[in-house]
Amino acid sequence: MPKCTINGKEVEVKEGTSIIEAMQQSGDRIAHYCWHPGLSVAGVCRLCMVEIEGNPRVQIACNTMVTEGMKINNTSEKVRDAVKWGLDFHLINHPLDCPICDQAGECGLQDQYMEYGKYDPEMAEPKQKKHKVVDLGPTVVLDSERCILCSRCVRFTEEVSKTNELGIFNRGDRSEIGTHDGLELNNKYSLNTVDICPVGALTSKDFRFRQRVWYLKDAETVCNGCATGCSVKVYYNKEGFFRVKPVYNEKVNGHWMCDEGRDIYKFVNREHRLLKAQVRNASGWTEMTAGAAAKNANEVLKNASGDSLALVLTAQYTVEEFDAIVSTFVNEFKTKKVFFWINNKESFDNFDGLLLRGDKNPNTKGLLKVLEKHGITATWSDLSAGLANGSIKTIVVAGPENQAVFPDFAERVKELSKAQNLIWMQSGKNDALMSLTGNVWLIPMKSFVEKDGTFVNHAGLEQKFKKVTTVVSEALTLTEAALLLAGKNLAIPTTAQTFLPLNQREDQVALEARKKNEFVFRRGSL
Amino acid sequence: MSVMQNNSEKAKWYLPGVLGGLWITMKHLLGNLLNRKKMMTLNYPEEKYEYSPRFKGNHVLTVKKDGSLRCTACMLCATNCPAECIKITAAEHNDPHVEKYPISYEIDILRCVFCGYCEEACPVDAIRLGPEWQTPAINGANFIYDINYLAYRPSLKGGIQTHVDDEERLKAGI
Repeated sequence: MPKCTINGKEVEVKEGTSIIEAMQQSGDRIAHYCWHPGLSVAGVCRLCMVEIEGNPRVQIACNTMVTEGMKINNTSEKVRDAVKWGLDFHLINHPLDCPICDQAGECGLQDQYMEYGKYDPEMAEPKQKKHKVVDLGPTVVLDSERCILCSRCVRFTEEVSKTNELGIFNRGDRSEIGTHDGLELNNKYSLNTVDICPVGALTSKDFRFRQRVWYLKDAETVCNGCATGCSVKVYYNKEGFFRVKPVYNEKVNGHWMCDEGRDIYKFVNREHRLLKAQVRNASGWTEMTAGAAAKNANEVLKNASGDSLALVLTAQYTVEEFDAIVSTFVNEFKTKKVFFWINNKESFDNFDGLLLRGDKNPNTKGLLKVLEKHGITATWSDLSAGLANGSIKTIVVAGPENQAVFPDFAERVKELSKAQNLIWMQSGKNDALMSLTGNVWLIPMKSFVEKDGTFVNHAGLEQKFKKVTTVVSEALTLTEAALLLAGKNLAIPTTAQTFLPLNQREDQVALEARKKNEFVFRRGSL
Repeated sequence: MSVMQNNSEKAKWYLPGVLGGLWITMKHLLGNLLNRKKMMTLNYPEEKYEYSPRFKGNHVLTVKKDGSLRCTACMLCATNCPAECIKITAAEHNDPHVEKYPISYEIDILRCVFCGYCEEACPVDAIRLGPEWQTPAINGANFIYDINYLAYRPSLKGGIQTHVDDEERLKAGI
């Protein structure tokens, strides 16, 4: 365990740690464009310069290992000068595109320039013009002019996705990133190259020009795209959700996430959501608030005897919600007819070796655990038989959130609609549901970013996540729906206040809680 | 506001002040009655007062030589606006040299405080405050200025050009 001194602070690091890693451990700021903790060391950007005592020249921190007693400094005049000139070289051909560039506000080069630059460029030659809007593939757009040739994206396709589409072509200041002849950047992890691009050279077609990043708030949550359960950050503002990015999680996803997972923000947004409850009886559809519809459904449920009542669950809800609704059915309605709607059984065990799993439900393990806890063994064929002989008259369904991964959706709706009363709870809109006839209750549910809960991933890892924001305020969580369906009332949880200031009302909302729910647009920030 | 009582000896002599004020009123009354051409008031809206061209009134979006908008939809004006009255939607342009442009640019003029920060924040001289200052309208919708009004209203006679054009900028290698 060598000890070193970084900017006057003593740090103990593991054997074989590079200086840049030691500096991250000690919390010192250091610029790095080509170095990425998840990729190999390239040492091409020359911006992580440090001065090592006893060494006449400054050195790069990413490819120098820490040795015992090393004295490292990256704030000295010498380092500042080296960084300044390094930056000057980077900006020779870099256009001043910040007003158009999507990376503005998140750009490392911009930050570094504000700290070390602001000089008159000393290059008399005109800037080298390169290709402006290069279509690399279905997801990514390249702007060669902005590229600083850090080669992160190239190394990503070599080392992580192992698809080798990208390369650096031509020499000198004519070098450009491009795809090999006849190939396009079209793999299942292509958008990670956009994340790791330190400047705005690679931009995502999906997010491009939709929002400036400083208008977005972010929050960490767990991806509900598949059974892997990657840690992600969702970016949103009052207009909705705009993008998803991975967060480093050693146990689950490392630094990366798949392109499919990046689409999960879409079905959360208002335009794809069920905003009001719809109740259908002999006289046609009526619009109701979600809570009223659930109460209304209770009228049917309380008259239904245990045997004629069934519950169908998809593995898209949290463990707490499954527990609430299953125990309601077992204890209140005295039925053990709880069925697991499995969307694509054959491909559940598929795995591409990196992150993507065939099981597109975030919480299959969690649901199985809850079912086991309540001793439920019913299978789908029981339900089909019950529907065929008419013994099951009322069905409550907790439908999927991510409808795209349920190819059998319309079929199942048809099958379940044989029941007399169908109480369908789900967050997204669907035409197959709206075209149903008979007694139907459609109740809007909250999506995974709108509630606290736990997902259990494929490996049995329990991941808790917190509520991010509210999109459809009326929608219910499955826990709330379970209470209302059982004919109970919702209780608003109150936290016990041990100390109240004298001038504060008892029900006054704390400032912290208020800030979370409001968008305060200050200059340039939310 | 604080109310203060002036109890000094001098404050008791109010009559000269009152008469002095009355004298000014009489002077203007008699002057206007005897010499109506020099009257200081205007018969608005028939007579309109033109401010100097430097006056900062209604916004103008500048255009390029070909008449398209100069704005790059960087949203710095919207970010800098203290009244939060600017709303921009960006989109991709067909021309790779332009890349990004606004498909909608709206200013809620009732919220605008005419501080001129948008003008100052704009990196490409796309928004200016022009000399027009009269903003009456019949209903609320007319107070939201869109691209069509901001850049191409009749009084601008086809739009105001910026001095730096995209073509020149590209040639100069900026």
